Amino acid sequence: MGGSPPLPSWNTPHPTELRSATFSRKGRRESRLQFNIVPLATRAHAAISPSGNSSCSRPLMLKNAFLTLLSLAIAIVGGGGSVWYALKVQDGVGAIRIGQWTAFPDIGTPSADPYSKARVAREGVLALGRAEGLSFVAERDTAGAELKRECTYTIEGGFPTARFWTLYAADQSLGVVENGKPRLAALQSYGVVRQADNSVIISAGHHPMPGNWLLTDGFGRMYFVLTFYDTPIASSTGLSDVSLPHIVKVGCNA
Amino acid sequence: MRNFYAAMRGLLHAVLLGLLGAGIVHIAVLLLVPEFSERDAWSRLSMASDLYRMTRLDAEAGGAPVVKSVDPLFYATACRFDLGEGMVRVKAPGHVPFWSVSVYDRSGHNIYSFNDHTATGGVLDAVVLTPAQMIEVRKDLPEDLQGAIFVEAPIEEGIFVIRAFVPDDSWKPIVSRFFEQSSCELQDF
Repeated sequence: MGGSPPLPSWNTPHPTELRSATFSRKGRRESRLQFNIVPLATRAHAAISPSGNSSCSRPLMLKNAFLTLLSLAIAIVGGGGSVWYALKVQDGVGAIRIGQWTAFPDIGTPSADPYSKARVAREGVLALGRAEGLSFVAERDTAGAELKRECTYTIEGGFPTARFWTLYAADQSLGVVENGKPRLAALQSYGVVRQADNSVIISAGHHPMPGNWLLTDGFGRMYFVLTFYDTPIASSTGLSDVSLPHIVKVGCNA
Repeated sequence: MRNFYAAMRGLLHAVLLGLLGAGIVHIAVLLLVPEFSERDAWSRLSMASDLYRMTRLDAEAGGAPVVKSVDPLFYATACRFDLGEGMVRVKAPGHVPFWSVSVYDRSGHNIYSFNDHTATGGVLDAVVLTPAQMIEVRKDLPEDLQGAIFVEAPIEEGIFVIRAFVPDDSWKPIVSRFFEQSSCELQDF
């Protein structure tokens, strides 16, 4: 023992000297080495451990516990929150956009993406089948502004081939706008006046308008839901060259 | 100073680990939501009525709609079934401007759909059964099942939904009667 001078002597009285000695001779080089080898998961420990494996264990334990808790908190809150947010936003994966209109042809089918599946389960949706129809939702007008219930809009253009279609003004939950009047805030293709070229012009607003009037009411955000029934566009190949009517804001009486 | 850097590095590692974990939790939660949801269509329907019982989905029948965002110009009705007990037959006599049918599995995925143009004479008469039951039925097709639409579904529990178009108020009683006369029953074979 006495013949090997580089080793620190165990009889050294001062504790700080002992620590510095072990650190400079052994610990440092070894810890360096460790850094390059150990995987990510243990690196957090390695990073904070070299100064005191032996002596100051309690604050280290606290620090480790804190860091572990921090990791867990970020994982759980971040993971759960991001799922909640992803399911809350209106458009997501699998959406098809045509002009201002958005459709989810795959929603409610077994081939849907996991987000659509989770949304279907959480909201209790029973989506329309392919042989039934396809729904489009619009939340903005052609200028890109959000649709408002207090504004007047003109919806005009051609409609793709279908046995018939329905159009209704919806609130946030996509239920029909409640207006407290006998007239529903909805129109259907058997009951609209057509132009000479078979296109349709619809006016949506609070007050009666000539032609096709879609009654809306109240204030706040609004959506238009346009559903085509028994239509070839519901099969995915038919969606490529479909054009849908434009939504133009006429004015607001806020 | 070195301690400070080490602590910061530890913190960074913890945050990175946390983000990695968040990704894993995100995927796990996303895939588990359909399994554990108590708000899906099946659960809502089972709170409203029993198996093989037609239940109106629209708000017209009184109370809040069972399943949300049904087209306001449509009426809809649904019944739950369990093919493990036998095949289910759904009939609705009468004519309405448009009806369509969807069969959903337990988790609300649309498995099969058809509309009145598919049916013989536009009359709704459908049988939902498993492929195994289909083989049995094919051996000796009963007389009264000749005109029915057979829906082969590799499921056990499921939901059968009929939707019917209500063009205007005058059609409301007719469509309501169409639904009242509809039946959803376990078929012995």
